[in-house]
Amino acid sequence: MKPAPFEYRAPASVEEALALLGPERTVLAGGQSLVPLLNLRLARPEVVVDLGGIAQLDYIRADAGPLRIGAMTRQAVLERSELVRRRWPLLRKAVRFVGHFQIRSRGTVGGSVAHADPAAELPVALTALGARFHLRSSAGVRVLGASEFFIGPLQTAREPDELLAEIEVPEQPEGAGSGFAEHAHTHGDFATAGAAAVVAPGRDAGIALLGAGPVPERAAAAERALAGGAEPREVAALAARDLEDEHRRALCAELARRAIEEALA
Amino acid sequence: MGTEARLTAGRYVGRPVRRREDERILRGATRYLDDIDPPDAVHVAFARSPFAHARIGGVVVPDGLEGVVAALSAADLEGRPRDLPVQGFEGGRVATEGHPVLARNEVRYAGQPVAAVLAESRALAEDAAELIEVDYEPLDPVLDAHSSDVTMTHWHRVSGDVDGVFASAAHVVRATHTLPRVAPVPMEPRGAIASYEETDDLLTVWVSAQDSHRQLAGLAAALDRPEEKIRVIVPDVGGAFGSKGPPAPETVLVAASAMATGRTVKWAEDREENMVASYQGRGMEADVELALDEDATILAVRARIRADLGGYLMPTTAIPTHTTAMLMCGVYDVQAADVEVVGRRTNKVPTGPYRGAGRPEAAYFVECTVDVAARELGMDPLELRRRNLIRHHPYRTALGWTYDSGDYARCLELAEELVQPEHHSDAERVVGTGFGMYVERAGGLFETAEAELLTGGRLLVRSGSSPHGQGHDTTFAQLAAERLGVGIEDVELRFGDSDEVPRGVGTFASRSLAMGGSAVVQAVDALKQKCEAVAGGRDMSLHEIAGAEPGLRASARFESDLVFSSGAYGAVVEIERATGRLRVLRVAAVDDAGTIVNPLLAEGQVIGGTAQGLGQCLIEQAVYDEEGNPTFASFAGYSLLTAAEMPPVTTAFVQSPSPLNPLGAKGIGEGGAIGAPGAVANAVADALGGVRVDPPFTEEKLWWALREAGS
Repeated sequence: MKPAPFEYRAPASVEEALALLGPERTVLAGGQSLVPLLNLRLARPEVVVDLGGIAQLDYIRADAGPLRIGAMTRQAVLERSELVRRRWPLLRKAVRFVGHFQIRSRGTVGGSVAHADPAAELPVALTALGARFHLRSSAGVRVLGASEFFIGPLQTAREPDELLAEIEVPEQPEGAGSGFAEHAHTHGDFATAGAAAVVAPGRDAGIALLGAGPVPERAAAAERALAGGAEPREVAALAARDLEDEHRRALCAELARRAIEEALA
Repeated sequence: MGTEARLTAGRYVGRPVRRREDERILRGATRYLDDIDPPDAVHVAFARSPFAHARIGGVVVPDGLEGVVAALSAADLEGRPRDLPVQGFEGGRVATEGHPVLARNEVRYAGQPVAAVLAESRALAEDAAELIEVDYEPLDPVLDAHSSDVTMTHWHRVSGDVDGVFASAAHVVRATHTLPRVAPVPMEPRGAIASYEETDDLLTVWVSAQDSHRQLAGLAAALDRPEEKIRVIVPDVGGAFGSKGPPAPETVLVAASAMATGRTVKWAEDREENMVASYQGRGMEADVELALDEDATILAVRARIRADLGGYLMPTTAIPTHTTAMLMCGVYDVQAADVEVVGRRTNKVPTGPYRGAGRPEAAYFVECTVDVAARELGMDPLELRRRNLIRHHPYRTALGWTYDSGDYARCLELAEELVQPEHHSDAERVVGTGFGMYVERAGGLFETAEAELLTGGRLLVRSGSSPHGQGHDTTFAQLAAERLGVGIEDVELRFGDSDEVPRGVGTFASRSLAMGGSAVVQAVDALKQKCEAVAGGRDMSLHEIAGAEPGLRASARFESDLVFSSGAYGAVVEIERATGRLRVLRVAAVDDAGTIVNPLLAEGQVIGGTAQGLGQCLIEQAVYDEEGNPTFASFAGYSLLTAAEMPPVTTAFVQSPSPLNPLGAKGIGEGGAIGAPGAVANAVADALGGVRVDPPFTEEKLWWALREAGS
């Protein structure tokens, strides 16, 4: 479990980092997924660009408007943020399910999002919240929604010369509730299934499932049903209806029900 | 042995003395294999088969690899070292072909070592290992015992008129049970360092192992070298659970290559190697039949057991199959038995002893079948058990082992009382309770100890038994301090260096206290007699005696037949209807390990064993895909329970002393792993209204089972 040889670069600024990016070059943003992949020789980049030294990517802020999370914000910082707890509690609920606390101390929000593991919690919660992903390159900035950004398991729309710099989460309406539920074999293990829900007072909702497909997706039909006054159990069944495997369908529906009920509570 | 020699509770014995070794461990002052870092060492990485089954044409090592000192394939070894020796068992047949150190002509499991690279660092060795070109011709893999036509072990015993009893019995109950393969997963993986001094022709091997003497004997056999020319040193060891008994093929390669190159050679495996190449446990299935009379007395047992042994017999692969078969009467007075176990070759890593090593399999097969019988007869499973328990000892079973001591009825009674059975269901969940009993062979063979009075009156004890997490440094010191009448702080223990400790057997089969502890008691008693002789009736302190007669020492070799621990476990479980998720709500663990020397450490063993037993029930399974590739090469594919999943475990000890040793001790190292699985399985079946599924009890299986149960 020693990685294949690679060149290690540690830029001090976003600009320096952008100059280093390209094909066969991998971004190290905490390393909680990448380093095991390197050690198992499943990832074999020529160059590893470590963003650990770029302080300008480490921030959480929100003035009157949306929440802005710098990609290098540690998951533990997100978990402990008073601002996040007060105004975007779904993120706090979801991040607590990411691995163990040691992993969250090293792992970053941007790292988890860019890795795009379909079993990861943060992409699902961010999808439910309608987050937007800011990709920077030397040519400028592209801003994508979840449906454009996540394109497959471990695949995003990020080009090799782009850097995921910021995650923007829209402001939540006053009085919105949220819920997150998941199943894993053991505490801290990869989730086998899960659900995230945010519900505004007018029952305008964001619902996304974990482990129900190759990418996190909004359950649009379920969201409409909820807005139309349907019961959580019925909404949850709609969210999971396209899953072929009967047990998975039942499991995801149950977790969606819990998340929705928590959001309505 | 008279009862006057029996140890009773005293200043130390029977007391919950805290582990003396913990401070050193917690401060990181321990020295595990990988902490030994000889400056001149070369590091080994293995090229391992990516195929479950293939013929090997040639192995080509590219020239000019950076930092590479040597690269070896079977052709370079020229038949030296030999294949690992295979241990047989009594009354059956075991194939003699052992595991080759490096594959010749054929690989039989994914992960099998094919070539070894020695390089200036582990990273360089791994870089080179993946450049070795092996000409594989893939063959169809055999992935279960049913499909295999190669029998590697066979044992069959019939006692009594079994067929006649079954033909006329009032009730015949049949059940089939499967226990999947599981990985042992010690916290510290395997490893070895070897160094050869040509001038003295001495080979020194440091190895992460359960003990030094089985390594010594195995290395001597494989290297065809006298034992006096090998020194084995076992440093601190971070767990084994059975997986570090005899030498691994990799260890033999390390030793042989140190001799061939003259360099110190180090192999400290990583987790991936440990997962795919360390021998696994369980992997057995059984068709079990019970014949019962009108009163639910069990008249006979018939069992056909198949074991998926993997590609080769490791030295101890055969042993758990024999132990399973011999224990198929369980804790019950069954007069007739017909038990056959067939071990088949498959294209998976070999199996071997893993915590319990045959006892969990037997206990599971017997106890689950007893519950099936109770359901079919419409009886309370506890009542069916009580009617059939063995009540007098010694008891010779129909299969031929003699249980030395025990009080099975008391264990069961306590387990029921402690677990507080529940059986109910509502719209959200179903709740059930189950019990599993066990009898465990432990001890046997011999063990050694040496006691020496040091200047100043301190006591030094050298033991042939060796720790890897059990707490020998505390319990053996308790025994020695008690017998010599000194403070525990005045006792020093030494283990694990074959040049220093007397020739022993080792630490496995829950044998350390009964065998090694008894040897310590005898050696200290003999030393005490010598001290008294020096004093000659004068009132002398040990300090003065040590001054008057420096170097006083005594040794002991304690030998006994097998002793049999036993126990009863109870579990209450809850299954969530919507998802199938299983929660073990609580476990009651009642063990009879004879005299308990340290209740704190004994309880720790029970809880740790229970955690492993629960892991096996709930989530653990070494899954191979249809091509025979392991899907469990990292913890991403193989989960272990964490503290968060552990239910409350209530423990109790019944102490029926063994008559076979001066301590009255039996063994406690494996009870939890043996007792818990059957109890949980029976609780799950109870919750499911009698529907039985095989472990691991995943939410998916249980969700479907709930539908089948229609409840």
